[in-house]
Amino acid sequence: MTTPTVPFRHLATLWIQVTGTWCNLQCAHCINSSGPTDPWLKSLDTRTVKRYIHEAEDLGVKEIYFTGGEPFLHKDILELLAFSLAVAPTTVLTNGTKITEAVADSLADLARKSPYSLEIRVSVDDIDPDRNDRIRGKGALAKAVRAIRLLYARGLLPILTATEILQAEMPEGNGMYDRFRDFLLTQGIAKPRVKIIPVFPIGRMAQEGGGLLTEEMLRGYDFSLLQCTETRVVADGGVYCCPILAGLKEARLQERGLKESLTSCRLYHTACVTCYQTGMTCKNF
Amino acid sequence: MNPERIYRRVAVFGGVYSNYLALEATLEDARQRDVEAIFCLGDMGAFGPHPDRVFPLLREAGVLAIQGNYDDSMAAGKEDCGCGYTDPRDNHFARISYEYTFKNTSAENKAWLGTLPKQRRIRLGKHRVLMCHGSPRTVNEFLWESTTPNGLLARFMRDFHTDAILCTHTGIKWQRILPDGKQVVNVGAIGRPENDGMTNVWYTVLTSGDDLHVEFAPVHYDHETLAREMEMEGLPPEFIETIRTGWWTTCLEILPAKERARGKH
Repeated sequence: MTTPTVPFRHLATLWIQVTGTWCNLQCAHCINSSGPTDPWLKSLDTRTVKRYIHEAEDLGVKEIYFTGGEPFLHKDILELLAFSLAVAPTTVLTNGTKITEAVADSLADLARKSPYSLEIRVSVDDIDPDRNDRIRGKGALAKAVRAIRLLYARGLLPILTATEILQAEMPEGNGMYDRFRDFLLTQGIAKPRVKIIPVFPIGRMAQEGGGLLTEEMLRGYDFSLLQCTETRVVADGGVYCCPILAGLKEARLQERGLKESLTSCRLYHTACVTCYQTGMTCKNF
Repeated sequence: MNPERIYRRVAVFGGVYSNYLALEATLEDARQRDVEAIFCLGDMGAFGPHPDRVFPLLREAGVLAIQGNYDDSMAAGKEDCGCGYTDPRDNHFARISYEYTFKNTSAENKAWLGTLPKQRRIRLGKHRVLMCHGSPRTVNEFLWESTTPNGLLARFMRDFHTDAILCTHTGIKWQRILPDGKQVVNVGAIGRPENDGMTNVWYTVLTSGDDLHVEFAPVHYDHETLAREMEMEGLPPEFIETIRTGWWTTCLEILPAKERARGKH
């Protein structure tokens, strides 16, 4: 069977896996098995990140995203966010644990000084501490909620980002989306923002023998629904086709240059089926 | 290729959203500003009442329109508006609006929407101007002020061989002059106020010269009558609140952080 490929359209989003798979949490569903010890994917150095941002600007990038691992473990993260915000709207995905009052002050300052939006996505999996922390680690919910409140108090509008991993355990009634939204309102967040994403069969949720996409399945399919037509990820080792597959050898398009990576990519992974079925995008909107 | 027509001064508006009262007021205002032509960047329907009422006004005034995502969906009989929302709340209200508009628009007017071009090019004096709905590359791409970087705009200018880009789709106006003098103008929308607590709407007047002169023109119209008609038609109270207060209550989740922070909700 031939592995289908997807054509490239344009570079809309650049993802930067700034801390590789280095994280202070070890979530049960992590797509790249990030954790506190022996990250299999190393952090990027500051110079490399700036070089890629420059290159992306020349290529007409629309948005820049920082992810990991936990981006706020990077020693120069605030400098990098400032650099990025001078070029394009910038989003950072975080578990919120490192967002102290001082960090929140700095982020608010960065947001104020940039003409572009700074978005901060804080990950949570349930509003019940026991259920959430079972997935994300002890005390994770309390720290994430604290981060959301600190950011909101400074005029930033964080986006609570949750996976569907606990959907089956949710109480009857409101869906997950409304459950998170209502929770944020009770926390004094008058402009609640919520993004729900599916669980991917990869990383700590990898399954043996999952299905793959075929050319038959893609006949007549609108490829623009797949984010790999308009996104690239820079991570240790080079440029990869999408944020879900970043760091995997089979998804690597280039060792160095971003420009040379703007080519078709192979839909070779079972995780590609999740994007195909759900229309999932890692973007904010 | 047809040579582009050269103008001295034009009026450009976007997002009518069935607001025929704002359209009447806009056309009247534009006529008094000595414009040679009036352009519309698409999305005739949505949000407001009695969608068929905007079409005779557009035709009688000789408005040169292009197709927005809404117009494309209506003409092709698509299942949704193709607005580009990803959030469940945004999609909920978009669905209500689209179902009402589709049901209440005549076959003749839907067919007319299908005849509109996707883009237009003109010259304003020496300036090459490209008109599109969302962005030059995608009809429903949102070009918000805070999420549209200069690098992307410079790329658009090169790729589409133009000196100025006029767009709409987001519903909030803005203007950017790039370091080389080229310009991007989101002309805003006349269908609903722009989330600033004011009930007026906005369109744009462009005048040729050494530099392209851009003026955003406020339009005050009988929004209370529109609100009452929306109530009579059973449209959602959230839509009506926006017309009466100038604050967006729906389709908010697509707003980037900076734009969202400026609004009430």
